[in-house]
Amino acid sequence: MHANDVKMSWEEVVEETRDFLSEEFEVDRDLILPENNLRNTLDLDSLDYVDLVVLIEENLNVKLTGEDFKEIATFGDFYQLVRRKLEL
Amino acid sequence: MIISKQTITGYIPHRAPFIMVDNLLSASRERFESDFRIEEDNVLVENGYFQEMGLIENIAQTCAAAFGYLDREEAGEPKTGFIGAIGRLEVFGLPPVNATIRTVVTPTHQLGNIYMIKGESFLEGSILLGCEMKIVVTE
Repeated sequence: MHANDVKMSWEEVVEETRDFLSEEFEVDRDLILPENNLRNTLDLDSLDYVDLVVLIEENLNVKLTGEDFKEIATFGDFYQLVRRKLEL
Repeated sequence: MIISKQTITGYIPHRAPFIMVDNLLSASRERFESDFRIEEDNVLVENGYFQEMGLIENIAQTCAAAFGYLDREEAGEPKTGFIGAIGRLEVFGLPPVNATIRTVVTPTHQLGNIYMIKGESFLEGSILLGCEMKIVVTE
């Protein structure tokens, strides 16, 4: 189920995102906070970013590009980008 | 067919005895298809069967040939690619010597110079192996 398929609240989108990021990247869910650095927290290398793109598309039906990541440092930045793409 | 066995080395960096693709049958940005006959003296044949590693390499070389073809079509030079990662690998069977396999590759995502592809190889319509692969293309 995607955020666009059923109208989810923004809070629900964030909580779902924390769930699947935590599971996929094997990171404590409590570390996925708006102020934390996305790359360092998830321990992403360049190949992992492709997994992140696939994950976001599969779970939220949002397509991200390489350009999008230039403006992302924290999970907060990441959430804002996803929110703009979802137009929530 | 768009690239024959006789000219495939003009599009891929691999050389004998490690060429694991014969003919590139079709290539668009959305889908590649190739074929490959398993010869008895292939270095990845064991006990009369082409091994999993060979099927994976065949998928990678199908990508190399198709990217090389498309780059040249678009007036660029073929780039070198590397397997970055392999995931969701499923093996259903191995092709015997003298069989001709068909391979279908679908690029699913691109992030900069990294491509995520889905590859499947078939023998007479039955799937042999499927996987996802991240291909890193040098700029």
